[in-house]
Amino acid sequence: MKFAIALFSPPHAPSSRRALRFAQAALDEGHEIVRLFLYQEGVHSASSHVVSPQDELNLTQEWQTFVSDNQLDGVVCIAAALRRGVLDGDEARRYSRDGANLQEPWSLSGLGQLHEAVQVADRLVSFGGA
Amino acid sequence: MSKSVLIVSRQAPWAGPGAREALDIALAGGAFDLPLGLLFLDDGVFQLAPAQQPAALQQKDLAANLQALPMFGVGALYASARSLQERGLQEATLGLPVEVLDDASLTALFDRYDQVITL
Amino acid sequence: MATLHVLSHSPFSDSRLSSCLRLLGANDGVLLSGDAVYALQGGTAQHQALELMPSSIGLFALDEDISARNIEPPQRVQVVDYPGFVALTCRFAKVNSWL
Repeated sequence: MKFAIALFSPPHAPSSRRALRFAQAALDEGHEIVRLFLYQEGVHSASSHVVSPQDELNLTQEWQTFVSDNQLDGVVCIAAALRRGVLDGDEARRYSRDGANLQEPWSLSGLGQLHEAVQVADRLVSFGGA
Repeated sequence: MSKSVLIVSRQAPWAGPGAREALDIALAGGAFDLPLGLLFLDDGVFQLAPAQQPAALQQKDLAANLQALPMFGVGALYASARSLQERGLQEATLGLPVEVLDDASLTALFDRYDQVITL
Repeated sequence: MATLHVLSHSPFSDSRLSSCLRLLGANDGVLLSGDAVYALQGGTAQHQALELMPSSIGLFALDEDISARNIEPPQRVQVVDYPGFVALTCRFAKVNSWL
């Protein structure tokens, strides 16, 4: 099966961890992930500025590793990201902000990417809220 | 053939960006000519209440974006009869032409769509 | 086209479970995750509402959330792990997460 996975909650929400564990299981079971799409508070899961205490789960790091290791298409909604202060280099320059905080390899794009993923995938699974 | 997507909007209009961000998903899909439906459920029906004054909260008018839906090709607009009734809203005074559905019709509605996003 | 509904909020402070129950199709499934597993707490109206769902509706719960909260899952509940969660999303035609 081809999965589109959308995440609407920040890294400290249990649903963000749940989304990652689901995504890992999907790949382990031999499925394909067409795209990961971060929207609403989910954009914070792609922030390079989240600091986790040493003895706690580092979810932004885990997400980054997961996306990189599996060469997945990790997209962050640009409008949602800007509103919440997650910027890449281009946006930081455009809006004269002091530094980018979008973690590689996540990229900023529009809602069209969510729709395209939903059209291409067999299943859309969204995670968010609590 | 495109997959149809039902977007379920459950957030009240002035509770943060949720209502607007649900609407943005609908408008984006409409812009790509995708078969979409938008259902207002639970507190989401408050987005349809008449004569709201968002400027009092220094917020942008959501109603203008809602009116744009048909222009973006999103004409399949629905509201839950129960949600409206629970919240004292009358179908005749709603700010947007929506098809009001009872629970059984909503079950059938969910069934008709290929994918659903409830936010 | 049966739908798997995924819930993750506590049903005591939130209306998502009751809204979901009203919209369930005859062959739909309900997966409880996160605080939504509190709906399985014995002696509650929420648990009773779940028990009253027709037997054609599948009721599932995520294992880690049951364990973390020390909830005794009722007999009708099928407890699943993440591979089981993935399998459920394949089995049902679509997934509706009540975000």
